[in-house]
Amino acid sequence: MNINFLTAVMLLTLTGAFLPVINRLFRISTLLGAVISTFGYLLALFFVLISDQGRTILNSFFTTDEVSRLIGVLILVASWMLMLVVYWIVQKDKFVNELIGSVMISTAGALLLICANNFVSLTIAMELMTMPTYLMVLFSFDEKSIEAGVKYFFNGALAVGFILFGVSILYGLTGEFTFRALVENLFSDPLVALAGIFILAGFGFKITAFPFHFWGPDVYDGTCPGVAALLTGISKSAAFIGLMRVVFEAIPVVAPHFSFIFALIAAVTMTVGNLLALAQKRVSRILAYSSVAHAGYTLVAFAALSVPVSITGILYHSAAYAFMKTAAFLSFAALLYIWGARTMDDYKGLGKREPILAALFLIFLLSLAGVPPMAGFISKVFVFTAAVDAGMTWLALLGLLNSAFSVAYYIWIAKQMYLEEPTIEKPINDTSRLWVVIPLAVMAVILIVLGIYINPVVDASLHYAAKVGF
Amino acid sequence: MVLLSMILIPVIVAPFAWFLERVNRDIPKYLSLAVGIFLSICTAYLIAKYPGNGFAFKEFYTIYPPFDFNLHLAVDGISLLLLGVTAFLAITVTLSSWHVERPGAYFFLILVFLGPMVGVFSSLNLLWFFIFWEFTLVPMFFHIGIWGAENRIYAAMKFFIYTHLASIFLLLGIIVLYLNAHTFEFEKLVGINLDPGIAKLIWILMFIGFAVKMPVVPFHTWLPDAHVQAPSPISVFLAGLLLKMGAYGLLRWEIFVFPQVSKFFAPLMATLAVLTIFYAGFRALAEDHIKRMVAYSSINHMGFVLLALASLTAAGISAAVYEMLGHALVISLLFMVAGYIHHKTHTWYISELGGLMKRIPLLMTMFVIGVLAAVGLPGTAGFVGEFTVMLAAFDYWGWIMIIVPFASALSAGFFMWMLQRAVFGPLKESLKELKLTELPLIENIPLAMYIVAFIFVGLIPSVVFNLYNPVVNTFAQLFK
Repeated sequence: MNINFLTAVMLLTLTGAFLPVINRLFRISTLLGAVISTFGYLLALFFVLISDQGRTILNSFFTTDEVSRLIGVLILVASWMLMLVVYWIVQKDKFVNELIGSVMISTAGALLLICANNFVSLTIAMELMTMPTYLMVLFSFDEKSIEAGVKYFFNGALAVGFILFGVSILYGLTGEFTFRALVENLFSDPLVALAGIFILAGFGFKITAFPFHFWGPDVYDGTCPGVAALLTGISKSAAFIGLMRVVFEAIPVVAPHFSFIFALIAAVTMTVGNLLALAQKRVSRILAYSSVAHAGYTLVAFAALSVPVSITGILYHSAAYAFMKTAAFLSFAALLYIWGARTMDDYKGLGKREPILAALFLIFLLSLAGVPPMAGFISKVFVFTAAVDAGMTWLALLGLLNSAFSVAYYIWIAKQMYLEEPTIEKPINDTSRLWVVIPLAVMAVILIVLGIYINPVVDASLHYAAKVGF
Repeated sequence: MVLLSMILIPVIVAPFAWFLERVNRDIPKYLSLAVGIFLSICTAYLIAKYPGNGFAFKEFYTIYPPFDFNLHLAVDGISLLLLGVTAFLAITVTLSSWHVERPGAYFFLILVFLGPMVGVFSSLNLLWFFIFWEFTLVPMFFHIGIWGAENRIYAAMKFFIYTHLASIFLLLGIIVLYLNAHTFEFEKLVGINLDPGIAKLIWILMFIGFAVKMPVVPFHTWLPDAHVQAPSPISVFLAGLLLKMGAYGLLRWEIFVFPQVSKFFAPLMATLAVLTIFYAGFRALAEDHIKRMVAYSSINHMGFVLLALASLTAAGISAAVYEMLGHALVISLLFMVAGYIHHKTHTWYISELGGLMKRIPLLMTMFVIGVLAAVGLPGTAGFVGEFTVMLAAFDYWGWIMIIVPFASALSAGFFMWMLQRAVFGPLKESLKELKLTELPLIENIPLAMYIVAFIFVGLIPSVVFNLYNPVVNTFAQLFK
């Protein structure tokens, strides 16, 4: 691993760890907290950006390449914006600095996860990413969030158990933990397939793929929406990249056999996600099920693993997804905070009441729906191009149809916001919107730029494709 | 830079229309008018400088060359004509919307719609074509949903979901095409040699996308709802531009790109076209709702466009493009007047109207002129369009096309019957109480502009034909 990248991770972790301590010692204000963590993010961002220079250490554990740099930057920016919005939403809570500290540590885990090169480091990174979120889910300490927290903890533990079990089988067979060594030592043993299935199942929990998706909507709905934004946006996006590394670096020999399994899971995941989303009344649950559906779209690209464009599809979708889902949940969080808007009925006429926030939310919804020129469109183009290229036209068609049906519920939210008359009269918290509008606007701009300026992601994916031998 | 500025300037101006509404309610409409005039001047300049054949004014903006994802703009005679329609309608729609409610958001959406519209007609890169194509849905959705009639929300949702679903097939076709041809560039795609099976698959997938937009029976059901609920100026955009996108896409990206496959599917196109013409004609005949009747007549006319395209001859394509222009001008007038009739009498139903000529003669005279143009009165664009379409159809398909003049008679029938019931005759009792007054001058101007335009191109069709006939002849070589 590049030492600069590691510095970035350490800086983020340390800022996150010391933020609550500083708060306890000096009783810092929300603003100062935001400034300190912004400082941490900026430093981390700087070190990630320069991470192609400098010594390398821990090479057998972590690798830094174009992918980790690109996704690292994107995750950091998304997490930084999330931090700003969360500070604004929960400014009155006395544990807010603890929450932000957890966000930063979890983001550090996500940064490590996208570089993991070895099953030990993969598991450690994943746990570093997940552990703080167990606390965060409990943040609001009401009955619902406690239920969500318990559900999340058990599912998370189960997921890591599955992965560890698969890893231990692989270790038993080869005596190695690194991805590269596995590739070299792999022989045609049915146990390898079994190990692969266990690892896949573990990742299935993380990315809420069918049939491991049940916890997702309950947890995203039960917890504070700022936390849900981190869980469903940033950490899932990092998990996609982790899975990509496993598939293309660790088990490429057996991966072709998984192609059909991926295709099957993808088909069911997106269909189930979209159908259930259509049936929801609460906006957070709609967004949660749409996040299940999006896991399905990403799995379409995984199913097409025999062609190089699948890497572009995975990368692009993860990059776009990190922003659009985080931003969509944050918009929901802001509207919940200001207007108490939770269900579809509460969203009536919000376009009139809150023109800028609603317009931003609309951009994120359109991106999720895959309407050009937003990043969600071009990422879907790559995902489905991969499927067609790999000879799975049926899967691409199913995915595209799913994507078209999903428009129904995204546009339904837009309809409630813009075409109906307002029902809520007064905001429950009337504060300055600047703190929430600026971060969301930044994310909207990034989404539009990513939708047209495709070079960085495609270049990174081509580098990666060359690295794994396409 | 001209073409790019025609795409970008409306989009850049749009937010100003929104925000400056608070300063003065009149600013948005003046901004929109200014953009319309800007588009017209640019188009006039391009037409004046157009060399006569092939693509001109090429602009190439590199975005990602390895995937051929580059913004490549250029126009030929056909695109220029449609750009002219876009600019013309931009002005007339703005004038017709002079007294609209919430002008800031309204003109914001109009401007956001115009930029991609220019993009659709000038993009030579298939992926960019799709990006522009798809984005036009969003402003239309809000226009129908916010400013529409009673059932607007249902119509807006149906419009968005239905046409988005169709676009998905188009997108899949584009993906399959790219994977086989490895390019999105029109000039590299023309006459490309693909495996016949794959080419047919691509053709069908893309055809579904275009046919829904056109709309071709049986993919037309979104259109009557959208038209009936949309505010009249937006119906003008729907009929004048959105439907043209479908026909233009079919011509540019299917017929020109896959001439031989199109030849294979020509009977299918012709069958669907005849079906569309008759189905829409009979539906219009049975329709009591005046705007829905106009909407069905619009479908009927687009059937003629498809029929002409299906002949795959220079004469047919030429006729189709002319009919697109004529339809845009004539149907816009009819939609506007239908909207005004509802506005004045508070009813949509022909059976509740009667004798309007006595109270609002100026408006009704313009309506009658529009109807006459729609049924193909010589001297108007409608005549030239229908006549050339029929000539091409006869020329190519032979005696079987004897049924087409019957369709024409059908369309004359439903229009005349409507006129007799709604416009002429004694004034209805229920209307006597109402204050029926003529329109304010500013709203008469666009109506007069449509009439002048369709009579002008009807009397001197060569102005239009000369613009794009060389282009059509060049491409017609491909079908031999």
